Amino acid sequence: MNRDMLVIGGGIAGIQSSLDLAEMGFKVYLVERLPSIGGKMAQLDKTFPTNDCAI
Amino acid sequence: MKQNKTGENTEGLRVGVFICDCGSNIAGHLDCAEVTKYAADLPGVVFTKENLYTCSEAGISEIQNAIRENNLNRVVVASCSPRTHHPLFASSCAQAGMNPYLFEMVNIRDQCSWVHMGQRDIATAKAKDLVRMGVAKSTALEPQKDIESSVIRKILVIGGGIAGLSAAEALAGMGLEVLLVEKEERCGGLMLGLNVLETGKSAAGQVSDLAATVAATSGVTVHTASRVIEISGYIGNFRVVIETPAGKVEDTVGCIVVACGAVPLVEEGLFGYNGKDVITQMELEQRLASGSFKAARVVMIQCAGARNATREYCSRICCATAVKNAMIIKRKYPLAEVHVLYRDMQMYGDEKEQMLWDARGMGIKFHVFDQKKPPRVGDGKVTFQHAVLGETKEFTVDLTVLSTPLVARPESSQVAALMRVPCDKNGFFLEAHAKLRPLDFAADGIFVCGSARYPVTSVEARTQGLGVASRIGAILFKEKLVKSGIVAEIDQETCVGCMGCLNVCPYEAIIFNRETGVCEVKEILCKGCGNCASTCPSHSAVLRGYKPEQLLAQIRAI
Amino acid sequence: MLDVGRHPNIELMAYSEVEQVEGSAGCFKVRVRRKARYVDEAKCTGCGACREKCPTDVLDMYNEGHSTRKAIYSWFAQGIPSTHTIDPDHCRVLQGKKCGVCQKRCEAGAIDFEQKDKIVELDIGAIIVATGYTVFDPGKIPEYRYKDLPNVVTAVEFERFLSASGPTHGHIDRPSDILARREIAELEKEESRLQKTLARYEEKAGASSQSVFEAFAAETAPPEQQQWMEKYREYLPLTEKLAALRSKAEGFTTAKRLAFIQCVGSRDLRFYPFCSGFCCMHSIKEAIIAHEHENATTSVIFGMDIRAVGKGFDEYKVRGGNKSNITYRRSRVAEIVNGPNNNPVLVYEDTQLQKVVREDFDLVILATACAPNEGMKEMAAILGIELNRFGFFKTRPENPLDTTREGIFVCGCAHSPMDIPESVAQASSAASRAVQTVTVTPAKLLKIS
Repeated sequence: MNRDMLVIGGGIAGIQSSLDLAEMGFKVYLVERLPSIGGKMAQLDKTFPTNDCAI
Repeated sequence: MKQNKTGENTEGLRVGVFICDCGSNIAGHLDCAEVTKYAADLPGVVFTKENLYTCSEAGISEIQNAIRENNLNRVVVASCSPRTHHPLFASSCAQAGMNPYLFEMVNIRDQCSWVHMGQRDIATAKAKDLVRMGVAKSTALEPQKDIESSVIRKILVIGGGIAGLSAAEALAGMGLEVLLVEKEERCGGLMLGLNVLETGKSAAGQVSDLAATVAATSGVTVHTASRVIEISGYIGNFRVVIETPAGKVEDTVGCIVVACGAVPLVEEGLFGYNGKDVITQMELEQRLASGSFKAARVVMIQCAGARNATREYCSRICCATAVKNAMIIKRKYPLAEVHVLYRDMQMYGDEKEQMLWDARGMGIKFHVFDQKKPPRVGDGKVTFQHAVLGETKEFTVDLTVLSTPLVARPESSQVAALMRVPCDKNGFFLEAHAKLRPLDFAADGIFVCGSARYPVTSVEARTQGLGVASRIGAILFKEKLVKSGIVAEIDQETCVGCMGCLNVCPYEAIIFNRETGVCEVKEILCKGCGNCASTCPSHSAVLRGYKPEQLLAQIRAI
Repeated sequence: MLDVGRHPNIELMAYSEVEQVEGSAGCFKVRVRRKARYVDEAKCTGCGACREKCPTDVLDMYNEGHSTRKAIYSWFAQGIPSTHTIDPDHCRVLQGKKCGVCQKRCEAGAIDFEQKDKIVELDIGAIIVATGYTVFDPGKIPEYRYKDLPNVVTAVEFERFLSASGPTHGHIDRPSDILARREIAELEKEESRLQKTLARYEEKAGASSQSVFEAFAAETAPPEQQQWMEKYREYLPLTEKLAALRSKAEGFTTAKRLAFIQCVGSRDLRFYPFCSGFCCMHSIKEAIIAHEHENATTSVIFGMDIRAVGKGFDEYKVRGGNKSNITYRRSRVAEIVNGPNNNPVLVYEDTQLQKVVREDFDLVILATACAPNEGMKEMAAILGIELNRFGFFKTRPENPLDTTREGIFVCGCAHSPMDIPESVAQASSAASRAVQTVTVTPAKLLKIS
């Protein structure tokens, strides 16, 4: 059985999955179509309801 | 090594300074060669080097070779932001055999070359100042050790509803041991009292099946009719006491999951509530399940007791519940009249909105009312003003169903007190970060899922239950907890026990020792924020790596 | 985000695509195409020197096309990895022309025009699909005249206007005004070019253009002065046009009367029947932030229901109404027409008065649907999983993260429209399902034996 993980998509969901898996000790390959990760959330200025910075 | 408080006594100190050009980001706006030459003459400095990119592989190996060949015991890199690059440089120093806490970083890009573009002389002079300060601070640094702590690979789950059961199932599926505590005789929570889910499947059946699977899983111990009465300790090592019908059980666990759910509001007199012809959605579910439902004309009132001055929040699930039940009634009794009076139909997402389309198609009528002019219920009639049309409408009804919100369980404040975790003003548990850490508490090693956090559907509760398993795996799959040695310490000799630090610590990392009468730091919980150090009136609390003498050395070098 | 780039257990494959998935849970074989960046990831430090002298401007889609980037670029300033990328569709060298400035500028020697796509084969235990969503193209709704009226923008475009790092540095300039200013800038360039030309003629002749022009009617100018006068005839209307534009531009102010239209493409049987879940809150947030930027801002949010379903959301909505000049109007806007001064005019029914109302605003923001990605079908085919009736990846309520193929899980907006905290919670859940897939428990051993 392989234990390595593949996460497709580097938006907030893919990032969180990757970090959780990596922290659990699994090797993660995170594949993103664009030149950088961040997804839609990286385009946001601030987020509701706390108005925190998105990046 | 000799203590070095002022930076003037440099005996035994061997500082290496690396000045980064950052391509042209730094070198384009200030004279890096001159800064490097200047650094060579600073007290304690035995090695200097200018790099095109200190963070490149070539730059890193230059640092490591310099440490080995020149016996460096301090390294200062003057480059970009410590936020992005400090971990890389510090760990590279450690690989070469130097204590990583003796590494110091100076930001001559974001704080110098970028803000003084086109003023080469000024920028160069400021870079020299910054480097001199960094070198002075490095000379006052002390070696530190990472803080390590063991972990117990067992989890306490408080609450055996769909969220807690899902968490237990996932944790066991990941090979961890689980202790599940449920206060009722049976696991299943609110779902045991529901009729059917949106899918048409029995809610009680689904949750009972899950409860049975979990109970039969090796590594899971379920205590029903039990209560957690004591919790102490910290992440990795909590001691818990559970009161069971067979007596008290004591155990140790590494993490805790709070999944104690919520209950539907039942309020005598709310829209004429009487439990007979004015009932809650939950009671309607029970009547539908038992077959005792009898009504030809039904009016449902949304936001009953919610989204008002006393209970400001939207309970998220009541609209979908109302639509589901309206559809069940209409499907069984196609001639029944069903009206839903609402303020906003909260049918978010794909499947729920589809339900709303379908419900309208079945002839269920939806009418919007204004919060300021709520419906009146009485004498077998419901009267309200239609907010869109502006007309007053009146329906003769056999049954009025109130969609009341889920409210926090009365005992959740006691559960919160056991772990000293916060609740919000509505009594729901307060997560670490509303956006990015919805399942974590600010306190390490404790997690929350399901309606204990905020009302959720059974699918969402299950999702969150599975989710906490990952958060916990990230802690308990490690051999031991390792964290930065940059933590606070309190001088036991000079501390007067005023507890000023204890009150400002956001992480519950300081305790008052009754025997000695002074405060102590629980290192494993300390995050190194420094609040205690800046509060302590007797300067007994200090933050390692940022002690007064270390900061003063830096400041005096200005 | 930064943590991903730094985590020793994560191998980040940005600018890459999954091409093939074979095998089954616990032993997938996955083929990934690592597209050529024409920049060596190992050497590039992300310093950005290459960018400075690149001669080619390309519309910046990170800023929703409201600004430009270069043909060598990083997706956004804080992007991870910071490795730059050359856009092969626009780079002069890769289009067979002469250039290579970036290569000369790069002191790390990272530019490699010869780089080719690389295929990587991975052995994988479990897969998490988090491919997100696409913003619905409101151009499909003719009555809202998106792209036709300049001051009608999408919520994501408006987000970029609000951002200090965006095309307007956080000032809510109206796109029509931005276009006018851009036109002024271009005309000014043209003007200074003509002025230089005219100055050369004037110096040579020792007379002003105007005096020569006034001395001769255009046709009667001596042949040697014909060309000069032609230039001057070009110059005159240009200055007039510029003066007019400049005086108009003096009156430009930032947008202060905002209208948000909800459910653009969602809850609409012509496009997507579902509710996109987060747009009501997104509009409220944008209205609150706009009000923070400029206290005089007022916003009207036009919607059917305002769906503020989440912890603290309804409270946020009420606060927005009380403190940030937001009015919530229960109405579906029938159409947007152009008004004077490029003001979009909304036409809608006031149901209580039973009258059609026309109301003009400075700027209209369309809360566009969270649509399934364009490549969903292809992705589903590569992964061997099914889509649901809405076009997202199919799951079952009992196991909300499991797709129709064992060992492949889905989270975030590829699952269904949802907001950030839900995506984060789901992401953790998908991770736990993935770990369960590769964990050997006593129960599993029993099943096998």
